[in-house]
Amino acid sequence: MIEKSVLLACEPERAFTLFTERASDWWPAPLRHTDDARSEIRMLAGGRFWERASDGREVELGRVTAWEPPQRLILDFYPGTDPEHPTEVVVRFADEAGGTRIIVAHGPKSESADRWQDGAPRFAQAWDLVLAALADQSFM
Amino acid sequence: MHALDALGNPVRRDILRALRTSPLAVGELAERFPVSRPAISRHLRVLEDAGLVEHRAQGASSVYAVRVQGFASVRDFLDEFWETALSRLEELARE
Repeated sequence: MIEKSVLLACEPERAFTLFTERASDWWPAPLRHTDDARSEIRMLAGGRFWERASDGREVELGRVTAWEPPQRLILDFYPGTDPEHPTEVVVRFADEAGGTRIIVAHGPKSESADRWQDGAPRFAQAWDLVLAALADQSFM
Repeated sequence: MHALDALGNPVRRDILRALRTSPLAVGELAERFPVSRPAISRHLRVLEDAGLVEHRAQGASSVYAVRVQGFASVRDFLDEFWETALSRLEELARE
């Protein structure tokens, strides 16, 4: 499980809005599925969570499974894996002196448990790559 | 670009599949894909930046091979993701 937090200098309502409506602005540019650093990324109350490149290409990034403004948001999350192996992010917005603490807890679900910890061999196997590569020691 | 995200692109996945059986020169790769040679070179550069392939010079050409050590864990990818994302959120809130 990954746990990280940050204190934002604003009310929980605004923190929730920044997180959900301004994802295009905080999502790390090099980590966008569309390769478009200016792609639009949105998570919506109805459940959709997507990225849309400026040329119109669209990719599902996950699903919103709990939408509880301004306290909590839960996402099924595909980046890093794929829709068949979602991980889960629980984002809490806690009122605190000086602002709102956003606490992100990100962990595997049962579908992604075996890929979570042990990256190199297991994950690359999933891409059907490594066994063949390992067989050829000239790659190492 | 991080390894796992470099894999988000279908052409790059196909390039890796092509490379898994044997290393290939850029020209050989370009012949196998319906995209231009400069496009192949760009994809190779992304894969190499992500640590997933490596190349060596062979005569006038570059030969690319899969780099097995480059595949990091999902956990590492997401850790890096949130590290960057939360610091950007902090800046946004100050605007």
